[in-house]
Amino acid sequence: MDRLRKAAVITRLAQSLRERGSWCGETHIQKTTYFLQELLGVPLEFQFILYKHGPFSFDLRDELSALQADELLRPEPHPPYGPKIVTTERAEYIQGLYPKTLAKYQEKIDLVTDRLGPADVATLERLATGLYVTRTAEGVEDAATMEARADELHRLKPHISVEEAGEAIREVDELIEQAQAVAC
Amino acid sequence: MAKHTHEIRDPIHVFICLSSAEREVLGSRPFQRLRHIHQLALTYLVYPGATHRRFEHSLGVMGLATRVFDVVTLEDNLTGRLRSELSELHENRDYWRKVLRMAALCHDIGHLPFSHAAEKELLPDGWTHERLSAELIRSEEMATAWKHLKIDPEDVVKLALGPKEALKLDLGLEFSPWETILAEIIVGDALGADRMDYLLRDSHHAGVAYGRFDHYRLIDTMRILPGPPSEENDQGGEGLALGVEEGGLQSAEALLLARYFMFSQLYCHPIRRIYDIHLKDFLKGWLPGGMFSTEIEDHLQMTDTEVTVGMRKADRDGGHPAHHHARRIQRREHFKVLYQRNPEDFAVNPEAGQKVYDALSEEFGGEHFRHDRYPQGSGRPDFPVQLANGQIASSQALSQVLDRVPSVSIDYVFADRSTMKSATQWLQEHHDEVIQPQSEEEGDG
Repeated sequence: MDRLRKAAVITRLAQSLRERGSWCGETHIQKTTYFLQELLGVPLEFQFILYKHGPFSFDLRDELSALQADELLRPEPHPPYGPKIVTTERAEYIQGLYPKTLAKYQEKIDLVTDRLGPADVATLERLATGLYVTRTAEGVEDAATMEARADELHRLKPHISVEEAGEAIREVDELIEQAQAVAC
Repeated sequence: MAKHTHEIRDPIHVFICLSSAEREVLGSRPFQRLRHIHQLALTYLVYPGATHRRFEHSLGVMGLATRVFDVVTLEDNLTGRLRSELSELHENRDYWRKVLRMAALCHDIGHLPFSHAAEKELLPDGWTHERLSAELIRSEEMATAWKHLKIDPEDVVKLALGPKEALKLDLGLEFSPWETILAEIIVGDALGADRMDYLLRDSHHAGVAYGRFDHYRLIDTMRILPGPPSEENDQGGEGLALGVEEGGLQSAEALLLARYFMFSQLYCHPIRRIYDIHLKDFLKGWLPGGMFSTEIEDHLQMTDTEVTVGMRKADRDGGHPAHHHARRIQRREHFKVLYQRNPEDFAVNPEAGQKVYDALSEEFGGEHFRHDRYPQGSGRPDFPVQLANGQIASSQALSQVLDRVPSVSIDYVFADRSTMKSATQWLQEHHDEVIQPQSEEEGDG
């Protein structure tokens, strides 16, 4: 996907998050982009690694800075917390150039933002790390059970209790089922 | 009586001190090689004073990182909760101070000739200068020095690279919160010693004042703090980060403004950028297979000196495959700016430069043009600020300055001098149609 198409998708995702009541800071965009790319197969081509608070892409961080430099996104201060990220009129102009791309991915954006838009950063960390663990365990019989994935999530993020990890893995499995329906 | 501490004079930090055991690392072949690697590549062709090398920068980073370590690990500067979380600090402070100093000293030893300018397209897939640094730190070349210092080279690798690069390179390293903080002292995006030193040093040598800021005040106010809260129902405190007391916020603002000015005025100067491109073109034609070797011995042999000699020879040899590229640098026959980002075109298409480059290349041939697009990443890193009442806040939320520091974004198209006039004229005639973004309504979706 070329850069402007990618910009159209990311800015539409940010808009959709805000419409669903998300704080829409960088963490929210990072985690929902991870779901959009890794779960729903939208080819955004960001490289995600497991970082301090779950899956994180330094490429995406740079791209969010670049989108701000290109005046497609803008930080909105909310002291004493981190800024929210809002889209600009220019973002709508860029989105207007790519109606087919956005139509192709809109249902996937809606699924991700319907489910994750209301989530706070701690929930997003649990779910995104849950998806990371699930993807890593794919095809590995012993590691793929719900219990094994919950244990692994707890091992990677000890501040997430085993019960919370189990709940997160259940929710991830639901999301995977919904994603398969959208993909069909 | 034998001397165990050695002082080195430095134009930025006055004196930098080392122990005899640390001086062994300084004397190693990988570190001495940095005497022959320019910090700012060919920038000296634009700013003649900018001839400084990675050698003195690395010493400076070690000096600054040590000062930060000494401030943030003072008992009085640690809050109660952190005292209990950072067990490694209390159990082995002297060991980690030594590791931090050596990691700061060695963080750049993997740099290719002419530093960043030549890296991206000139190493095999999966290789970066950070990976070369890790290989060198682990190599036999440095093993004796680590043994005498009684430190584990794997700890040096971790702190020299930091979690970001180590994870990107998939080196299988795991970082404790303490190791993450120590790496942040050296290579952190917001307040790292690497960044502080290069801004101060590059500014000093290039003769531009933009890079200066009050690093004394900044370092005195630096603290290890819980991460900043990101949203209303987030209490913060997840993980630890390097931040400042409220009184240091202005110094931190000055650092990030200095970075903005140095990028916009020095690092992204168009002639400096085109020399980087000519150098890359030359190296592709001059190096065997168009790439640098990743073998340790080959790396140690290859410095700016070897490249410069090769370039001078290629300039004199009209039949050399890299002759034209060498000539452009040696005789200052660099390409000139034909097009650059401007508000009117930018409003129509943020990627207007790419459109101009593609159209000109199709009309006149790609060999006459070069395109340089660089959007600065991580322009506004967030860090925690400790308020007078002990509460932790986000720096971006507290500071009206940090919230508004622009990101530098450049978009240049360069042309060779023989084509400049006709290409400029052609672009004037076709400008409006060339820069239009291709809408999917036109059928490419």
